[in-house]
Amino acid sequence: MKRLFKYGLYTIILLFLLLFITFPVVVLVTKSISAGWTFPHLFPQFFTLRGWELLKSNPEIVEAIYTTVIIAVSVVMLNIIFALPVAKGISHYHFRGKTVLETIFLLPILVPSLAIAMGLHLTMIRLGLSDKLIGVILIHMLPTLPYSIRMFKAGFDQLGIKWEEQARTIGVKRLRVFWTVTFPMLAPNIRSVALLSYVISLSQYALTAIIGGGVVTTLPMIYYPFFNSADQMVIAAFSIVFAILPILFLMVLEVFMKIYVHIVKR
Amino acid sequence: MKRLVYFETIIVLIFLAGCVNEKDQNSTDVLSKEWSQIEKSGEGQTVHLFMWGGDEGINKYFDDYVIPELKDRYAINLERHPMDTADFIAKLQTEKQAGKTKGTMDIIWINGESFRKAKQNELLLGDFATKLPNLKNYIGIEEPFVKFDTGTAIEGEEAPWGKVQFTFIYDEARVKNPPQSFKELIEWVKANPNRFTYPNVKDFTGNAFIRQLMYSVAKDPGMISGEFNESWINGNGQKVWNKLNEMKPYLWRNGETHPDSLAQLDKMYANGQVDFTMGFNEKRIKSLIKDGVFPPSTKTLVFDSGSIGNTHYLSIPFNSSNPAAAMTAINFMLSPEAQMKKMEPHMWGEGSVLNQEKLTNEQLRRFKKIWGRSIVPSDAVLSDLDTEYADWIKENWENEVVKN
Amino acid sequence: MKSLKTKRPYFYILPALLFISLFIGYGIFRAGVESLGSNGSMFVHYTALLSSEEVYKTVRISLYVTVTSTLLSILIGLGITRLLYRFFTSVKWKYIVWVPIIIPHFVAAYLVFILFSQSGLLSTVLHGVNGFGLPFPLVNDQGYIGVILTYIWKEVPFVVLMLLPIYQQIDQRFEDVVRTLGGNTWQVWKTVELPWVGPVLLETGLIIFAFVIAAYEVPALLGVTYPKMFSVLVYEWFYEGSWENRPLAQALMIVLTVVMVISSLIIITISKRWKKQWAKEKIK
Repeated sequence: MKRLFKYGLYTIILLFLLLFITFPVVVLVTKSISAGWTFPHLFPQFFTLRGWELLKSNPEIVEAIYTTVIIAVSVVMLNIIFALPVAKGISHYHFRGKTVLETIFLLPILVPSLAIAMGLHLTMIRLGLSDKLIGVILIHMLPTLPYSIRMFKAGFDQLGIKWEEQARTIGVKRLRVFWTVTFPMLAPNIRSVALLSYVISLSQYALTAIIGGGVVTTLPMIYYPFFNSADQMVIAAFSIVFAILPILFLMVLEVFMKIYVHIVKR
Repeated sequence: MKRLVYFETIIVLIFLAGCVNEKDQNSTDVLSKEWSQIEKSGEGQTVHLFMWGGDEGINKYFDDYVIPELKDRYAINLERHPMDTADFIAKLQTEKQAGKTKGTMDIIWINGESFRKAKQNELLLGDFATKLPNLKNYIGIEEPFVKFDTGTAIEGEEAPWGKVQFTFIYDEARVKNPPQSFKELIEWVKANPNRFTYPNVKDFTGNAFIRQLMYSVAKDPGMISGEFNESWINGNGQKVWNKLNEMKPYLWRNGETHPDSLAQLDKMYANGQVDFTMGFNEKRIKSLIKDGVFPPSTKTLVFDSGSIGNTHYLSIPFNSSNPAAAMTAINFMLSPEAQMKKMEPHMWGEGSVLNQEKLTNEQLRRFKKIWGRSIVPSDAVLSDLDTEYADWIKENWENEVVKN
Repeated sequence: MKSLKTKRPYFYILPALLFISLFIGYGIFRAGVESLGSNGSMFVHYTALLSSEEVYKTVRISLYVTVTSTLLSILIGLGITRLLYRFFTSVKWKYIVWVPIIIPHFVAAYLVFILFSQSGLLSTVLHGVNGFGLPFPLVNDQGYIGVILTYIWKEVPFVVLMLLPIYQQIDQRFEDVVRTLGGNTWQVWKTVELPWVGPVLLETGLIIFAFVIAAYEVPALLGVTYPKMFSVLVYEWFYEGSWENRPLAQALMIVLTVVMVISSLIIITISKRWKKQWAKEKIK
């Protein structure tokens, strides 16, 4: 009886959670295809795909999707490459100044980006990287890297040092240990890091605007001026695009990870 | 992992070592050339236009007309980049500090305050406008709006591109007897609480709303239409705030907060939260009604005493990579064809800067056909106020009205 | 070879360290330089901040919004994780928790807008009941409710994401021991869960706090004209008008940076001690 009650409670909480999370999204989807769904009309006047057609017919948006995805995927890869060694260093070794270093690695999210925007811009101009795709990719590393390091660190903490040592004692080379033992075991962390840095890169406005200089046009560059526009259908449809891109990315990522694990297992 | 880390370190060091500045030829060289030379050297180039991108109609005017025409006539590729005015002016300033001589912006859309800021900080190319044949032929360099932009001497650093007039927009179905003066508007607001508001004065239109009010406070428009009149402000400034405070309790949300931008006010109007919106372009309502965004009963309104006219401009930044092509493109945008196209309501639908007396009869006929009978009689245009008035409003409004 | 071994951790962190110091270091340096007064009185802008009522109000509203959003996100996130972590081990639909994470903040702000603004769905439904809609504003309101709602919707899943792996590590037998010794849920939480979860909660809280207090988009879209949150005020000082307030903006940001760095040093130290202490107890 108590058990039954407990499961009932779980179900209710889960349903509530489901509602809490998905309801806004359902409203958004409906909004993107309904005309005249404004106060005080409880229901849309009629349905139309005009919002979506406007998006589709805009060559700017299609191009911006390309740019955005290229930047985000590069950011994800760089994050994995740069964050892995740091996380391992912090997790598996004790050394002097570790607390200070950990704080330094959190700096990009501790320091308000508006404060350093001008300095960043000057640096990027001097490096010849402003107004360029690569500059934007690098600058997106700032808001993402701290998260990636923390997530990988959690993974290494959990993994402990024993696995690698065991593998090494049976004579497997360090690098091989990494690719065949450590990397697959970190799969859940890699998934989190990839998705989170992808999404953070996707939602950067200010940094992209400053470093990309309006020449590197990502989706938020186009979305932002639209936000307050009176045409609700277009914004709603546009908003959905932002949610679809990470989902597609996650699917592709899953496929790649499956293939990787498959290859390593052999 | 060791190899990976070596590799990473090297990459980062390369970036660190890469602090080299590119050296380029000076952009201003173009200003000493003949027009035919300029037009020729601009051929085949790409120019980047930076402008506020929140209006579908304006974007359409470029994508459907200006960009293809420029390509056809001058083989110039124009790329439009949406960016807020304040942002690209700040970007130019940083580039100036960093010594970036080859920038990415070739044409910018500015006016009033942004122009003053750009000019004061020497962010503009220089006197290019007086070289444009279309400015000379169809507008004339002696026109007041060619010489001064809301109190700042232009000296050829920007070229007029469009003229608009401040209008109120209201829903006829909900506002039966539209007010004809500020006095009547305040009465209407009091009788209909929560149904009116104006954008934050940091917004261009929100600020203009107050400047419009200042004209109604000033008994004689001549008192404020010239250079910044400090003694008038000292004597009458409080009256302006009093009028606003008189309205405040009856505004949307009791005047505790204001929409941040005109676009937001438009959205509120479209949602039926308020009965009025406003703006500098009376024709824009046509396409908004057609798209079902504004109710069909939407009408425009100009007070009997007239309304503020405003000119906006195109300019070229100091570090434009293709100033010649930029000048050719701007010159084209001042041509009668381009200006006429801009007036069409399904495009942008805003007023032309051209001088009617300088047009041929044939051109004039076509202009009239598109523009029709102007909703705003042109004698009701009040000249826009000196930018220092706009600053005065921005500095004091929050203290005098919002926090009150 | 021996020397490489002791230096290995430094070696591992070197590239990322170089990268971060290059960009952030110079950025902070520039901001610091610009925040100083030119002639004689170096800290004139800092003293100006102290005497400004607007800044005081901004600090107050920013702290209120940030603390409320952070605490509520942590509490709700913790509650959900505690209740559901056993469910989530097997069930595939834990992926729904990911939904708010994949949606950018400004889109989340838009969602809150279409649901809770005075022309939003809630107001529309109420209109059918009471004839006028929402009695008081929830978006663009002086209580910043819309902003807080947005952050909660976005950050609760983040908290769950950070806590879930920790909870799934906790050995069920610890709980059983406490329960057989007659301990209640509170004691289970205190003796079994807190030592594991505490350090992570602290760090997660720090991350959310740092993010919310400096983020621009959401308060810019859903905030009010007065009082403004930090970033909105700074943005205005920095980009609008005639730039004369720029040093003030930089000074304010430097103060915020210093506060954030010091508090994160403290929090990381505490969380480390906590972990260490717990590790010792486990060995015992």
